[in-house]
Amino acid sequence: MSQSKGEEKPIKLEDILQSDVWDVDEDPHIIVDSEKCLECPTKPCIYLCPAGCYVKAGERVIFSYEGCVECGTCRVVCPMDAVKWNYPKSGKGILYRFA
Amino acid sequence: MASIPTRFDVIVVGAGPAGSAAAYLLAKKGFSVLLVERGKGLGDKNMFGGKVYAQPIREVWPELDKEAPIHRWVTKERISMVDGEKVFTVEYRTEKKVSFVTYLTQLTQWMIKKAEGAGALLASEVTVEEILMKDNKVVGIRSGPDVIEADAVIDAEGINRLLLERLGLVKKLDPDTVGLGVKEVLKVGESNIESRFGLDKKEGLAWAIVGDVTKGIPGGGFIYTNKDTVSMGLVLHLSKKLIDEGSFESHVSSLIEGFRLHPYFKPYWKDAIISEYGGHLTITDAIKFAPSKFAYPGLLIAGDAAGLLLSLGYTFRGVDYAVYSGKLAADAIEYARNNGGVSYENLQVYDDYIRKSFMYEEIMRHRGAITLMNSFELMSRYPKLLTKVMEKMFEADYKHEVIYNSLIQALKEEGISPFNLISQAFMMVKGI
Repeated sequence: MSQSKGEEKPIKLEDILQSDVWDVDEDPHIIVDSEKCLECPTKPCIYLCPAGCYVKAGERVIFSYEGCVECGTCRVVCPMDAVKWNYPKSGKGILYRFA
Repeated sequence: MASIPTRFDVIVVGAGPAGSAAAYLLAKKGFSVLLVERGKGLGDKNMFGGKVYAQPIREVWPELDKEAPIHRWVTKERISMVDGEKVFTVEYRTEKKVSFVTYLTQLTQWMIKKAEGAGALLASEVTVEEILMKDNKVVGIRSGPDVIEADAVIDAEGINRLLLERLGLVKKLDPDTVGLGVKEVLKVGESNIESRFGLDKKEGLAWAIVGDVTKGIPGGGFIYTNKDTVSMGLVLHLSKKLIDEGSFESHVSSLIEGFRLHPYFKPYWKDAIISEYGGHLTITDAIKFAPSKFAYPGLLIAGDAAGLLLSLGYTFRGVDYAVYSGKLAADAIEYARNNGGVSYENLQVYDDYIRKSFMYEEIMRHRGAITLMNSFELMSRYPKLLTKVMEKMFEADYKHEVIYNSLIQALKEEGISPFNLISQAFMMVKGI
């Protein structure tokens, strides 16, 4: 864990996520049609996915499913209907302990 | 799922509070029940804000107070209005055991064990992919190649109603009806919690925050004291309008971090590290979110999937509503059995049970709260107004303004007419 005690600065998301536990599936449970993202004017997923699974790279959106917290927000906010969203299978995915 | 029978009286989809309560009661009434859960460990897919109202749950489990993993009974309720670094807070204290704080993961684990103890069969690590229909009636579920049949299926799949959508019973989630909750669990320590929040052993605090902690997005903040951690976070109301306008400009994690580092709040969790971080959708407009019916042939809908959550801005009720709807589903199936079988005609009593329940009445009675919580006035202008009045009352080197003048001046500065204030304040009191 890279958080230090008494830290006064905002902790970066990637460091915040170090506190979570996943059993990552080999197959992604979310499929994103990245061609549609190119046309998306607002790309709300970039700001609203709490786990930062959607990252902007120019006009592109790069998606990775591994850190997903399974909230379903991306699917709801996507204006392009580009997100094919399922729950992970076989008990995979995030394992909440203190939620 | 090869080793389990292929037919049950009832299949319950989702071992959250709604599903576990339904499975528990049905098993107790002598039905063969399969409780299907996608998670691996009990409760590990559950996530919420932090507070649970007890009484409706006691109707299912009278042993709740004695046995359930309750961290602290809420004895202090706080509401804060925040404008930048200025904060106006009110607090209420009681000793009555009305609501408690806990981890939903632990509480659900307890509920699932109760269901198993009563004789329900738990199938975990099973993600249901489809609710099966035959001749316009629900007849079972499918997960991968496995099919299991039942006289009735209770859908307690949660807020992301993938199964109901696939059945064509509900539309894809409308952003106008949901909010995104993000939460950090901070390891503050038991004695620090008690000294910093002014609590005794087993006493807890629930705190609702409105104002610019959400940076202009409708919603608010929350803080709950667990046994040795503090849950804090934000709920952001999603809306088509805000999404289309591109109003979300910084990542939600930076909003929650801004809240964590706010000078008024940060001493409460000084030196604490983050134990967990998570996100979950919550219902903000229960009426629009609800399916058109709660009972369909062979199918009952309970918990979040049914839109049963009361969101008042200063308090939220989801877990007890879920449990209680699970109870009503079990009651309806028992009624059907005692009246000739699980026909649609008989199952329809569930729709009636829900609509006549305290939950539905409460949701209808408080429906004005939805509009208010999405309003810029309540979320942004009133916190500003109130803190401004306080500023004029307290921040004086020589001359303190009389309260009346403080209010009039603050109204003028905020461009709110006294008439508007009175009518909106009246609406607010009436609606919430």
